[in-house]
Amino acid sequence: MAVRANPDLIDELQGFGAKDVVKCYQCGNCSAACTHSDDPYVFPRKSMHYLQLGLEKSLRTSLDPWLCYYCGKCSDQCPRGAEPGETMMGVRRWLTAEYDFTGLARLLYRSWSAELAAVLTVALLTGAGFLSFGFLRGGGNLSVYDGPGAFLPIHAIHFFDWTMGIILGALLSINCLRMWHFTMRSEHTAPIPLSLYLRHLLLLPLHFFTQKRFRHCENKTPWATHLVLMLSYLTMLTLIMVFLRDMQSGPEVNWYAHSFGYLSAIGLVTTSILAVHGRLKKDAAYHRHSHESDWMFLGLLLFVSITGIVQHILHRFGFPMAANITYIVHLMGVVPMLVLEVPFSKWSHLAYRPLAIYFAQLQLAAQAEGKVPLGTPAKPQPVA
Amino acid sequence: MAEERIGVYVCNCGTNIGKVVDVAAVASSAMEIPGVAIAHSYKYMCSNPGQEMIVQDIEENKLTRIVVASCSPRMHEGTFRGAIRRAGLNPYMLEMANIREQCSWIHDDPIAATEKAKALVHAAIQRVKFNEPLESRTAPMCPSTLVIGGGVTGLTAALELAEAGQQVYLVEKQNHLGGNVARLDLTAPYLDSAQDILRNWISRVERHPNVRIFLNSELIELKGFNGNFKPRLRTEDGELLELDAGSVLVCTGFKEFDASRIQQYGYGRLPDVITSFELEAMLRQGKLQTKSGKQPRYVSIVHCVGSRSQEFHAYCSRVCCTTGLKYAFEIKSALPAAHISNLYSDMESFGKGCEEFYRKASEARTSFVMFAKNQLPMIREADAGENCSMLITVQEQLSGEEIELPADLVVLMVSMEPQQDASHVARLVNISCDKDGWFIESHPKLDPVATTTDGVYIAGACQFPRDIPESVTQGRAAVARILAKVAQGNITVDAVYSEVQDKLCSGCRTCFSLCPYGAIEYNAEKHLSHVISAVCKACGCCAAGCPSGAIKVRHFTDEQICNQIEGVL
Repeated sequence: MAVRANPDLIDELQGFGAKDVVKCYQCGNCSAACTHSDDPYVFPRKSMHYLQLGLEKSLRTSLDPWLCYYCGKCSDQCPRGAEPGETMMGVRRWLTAEYDFTGLARLLYRSWSAELAAVLTVALLTGAGFLSFGFLRGGGNLSVYDGPGAFLPIHAIHFFDWTMGIILGALLSINCLRMWHFTMRSEHTAPIPLSLYLRHLLLLPLHFFTQKRFRHCENKTPWATHLVLMLSYLTMLTLIMVFLRDMQSGPEVNWYAHSFGYLSAIGLVTTSILAVHGRLKKDAAYHRHSHESDWMFLGLLLFVSITGIVQHILHRFGFPMAANITYIVHLMGVVPMLVLEVPFSKWSHLAYRPLAIYFAQLQLAAQAEGKVPLGTPAKPQPVA
Repeated sequence: MAEERIGVYVCNCGTNIGKVVDVAAVASSAMEIPGVAIAHSYKYMCSNPGQEMIVQDIEENKLTRIVVASCSPRMHEGTFRGAIRRAGLNPYMLEMANIREQCSWIHDDPIAATEKAKALVHAAIQRVKFNEPLESRTAPMCPSTLVIGGGVTGLTAALELAEAGQQVYLVEKQNHLGGNVARLDLTAPYLDSAQDILRNWISRVERHPNVRIFLNSELIELKGFNGNFKPRLRTEDGELLELDAGSVLVCTGFKEFDASRIQQYGYGRLPDVITSFELEAMLRQGKLQTKSGKQPRYVSIVHCVGSRSQEFHAYCSRVCCTTGLKYAFEIKSALPAAHISNLYSDMESFGKGCEEFYRKASEARTSFVMFAKNQLPMIREADAGENCSMLITVQEQLSGEEIELPADLVVLMVSMEPQQDASHVARLVNISCDKDGWFIESHPKLDPVATTTDGVYIAGACQFPRDIPESVTQGRAAVARILAKVAQGNITVDAVYSEVQDKLCSGCRTCFSLCPYGAIEYNAEKHLSHVISAVCKACGCCAAGCPSGAIKVRHFTDEQICNQIEGVL
């Protein structure tokens, strides 16, 4: 069945940051330069071409964009300056929007003002919500930070965190399910037996925690930075979700928990400052182009890290009222960051990337066992 | 023959000959042949020291005839003839033995090859003994030129010749000048107007006192020979006119491929499938629209229509890739919202400024869809309710997908073909056509505008698909060749040609039908055939065919050939 070309697709993708794809003349240097590109997952060349031709369905059902980590080698090698790495980034943004059933991702990615308005609205609602909760249902006194009568009692925060976590997890899971449906249930891919899914399940945590594929990129710096950022973020998330009580009580320092907190705070601040610096300097290919969503992501991350550190310092040094206010400001950053970024924007790749590696492995395994035909489009006919 | 003193020179040709043939042995065996006064072998006979060796030997040893055993005479016969002329010998007192192409290059066994080389040298020695001194002659040269074809090549050539002060007769079959370029809108890659380029050229040609233009006219006969042609034209009024022209320049151009021959493109059946020339006409009129008068939203440009195909033309038409890219710009500027796709099998936008042009077309959002040469796209009408009028199905090579492209207007980049009457014109002016019907040049690299008929030149797209700059360059190159002959004032007639011995000729005219060059005239009064020496190429067909043995080819006499054969045996 012929795939219908949609010449307008390229316009849509330009809104997601894939600007230079028109320059590509399909020489394939990018795919040759890439350590991860291998038959049948040939990228960025093929993704570039799907985009040029407007093969929307082929692009939507492709795992390729998630198998790229944007080390920038391809963009450096491109003889026409078509920035294939940035196109892959743009395609990932578009795919995030395609997977998202609410349509919110599309809106946030394509409109800077919508994203700004969304962040501010959630921030203000969060601020107002916590303030009114503090006065009406909490301790009611801004100058009590922890212990009995605390303005924001730990159990309440705990309850809020878990509720939000479950809701966001559910939203992201629905999007992941859609990703599975697009990529693994397309007409190009025959169904894969459940046993294979189970046999390779461990790939998910393996790649989630180690990002070992990223290490194979020729340029190791992005992998190292990314790993530190990811581990710091994960540590902080665990501390907050599980050990909030130990983190918030004070004013003495609970070293067994706080030492982890300090390390991850250092990790978060350092890596986000490095990223901001790189994006301003633009000397590496992967930092040459910055979409609005990249700045929003980095801005929120820095804001949250710094306000978190400040409220911690204020609390330990005996300024409970200032600590409480900073804490609410901190939450006004945390909540929009998680609510908007995890299911609808950049953070979602924490799920999509390991899933793509897992799915690709399943397709290859199924092919190797000869149970199902190759999970990719038919190869071109040899030219006589 | 005792008084003849023959010098034999055996060439090593670096290692080309020397590595298989024992050249010293060949030289010393030649010494044993009666009449040979001196025999040498040398590394490169064609080099200056090699030639000097011959010159010096002739002077010091009073040599009368020379044999050079080296490469093919095609390569260096002229070199060695020049050398012995410098030493005071008649150039025809030279004989060459080809021990490279006919010996060392084709044999591995050094012993047998050396024996063969000895035999070839022996044959040359036996022949050279009977060589006769010959002199080339000169004939007067008429300075005017007949230019056939008033396209961009013919116009350029006519103007150039006229500016040089020479009379030009410009014959054009159509009722206007300009040829195929007159059908174009803009030219690639600088997007200059073709009409502007032509208008200037045409008005200068029309005003020039040295150019006589014959529109709606045709060449019907070309008599005479190099320097003294007598072309006969049928003019606009149906009159027959005989002219004098020293040279003939053929620049009859090309015609386009009949696109309806490729069924699956639907040309002639689908109203909005048009050829590149039809698009040019639309662009010139400023009316870029479908047959139903709508603005096309999707325009597809299909490349290699008739070119590079097993079924039609194996050659590449060369100009269509860049022209297709040009359409992307022209259509974009007329209809900014239109989507343009190029369906191609290889993109060959060569030449100055063209790679940049390709890049710009790409950046202007033209998509490039690659099909396989053996799997052409299929164009069909779209169903009602579609947002386009046609759909093109392509097995796309770079994505590996079978894709369907929407189209409202499809432009077929039709290939260039020889003119319908190219073989007729070739016969008239006595030149040849290749298997595709293009006129054949004298040498593809070293003599690209001359033909095998002296005084007849070819230029532009009648020889092979050419773009405008190439056609103009060729037109001017041919003019340079013609003016060089005009400047000499005379034409040189080669000393080697056939002669009819009148007393033996029976007037049977067998030779007349055998001569491939039209060099034989018949004198009806005397019942005798006569060879026009200026036209004769000394191929020997007439001599071989003459039932009375009345024809003798100078430098290829029976005596010379028989002795050469005996020599090799």
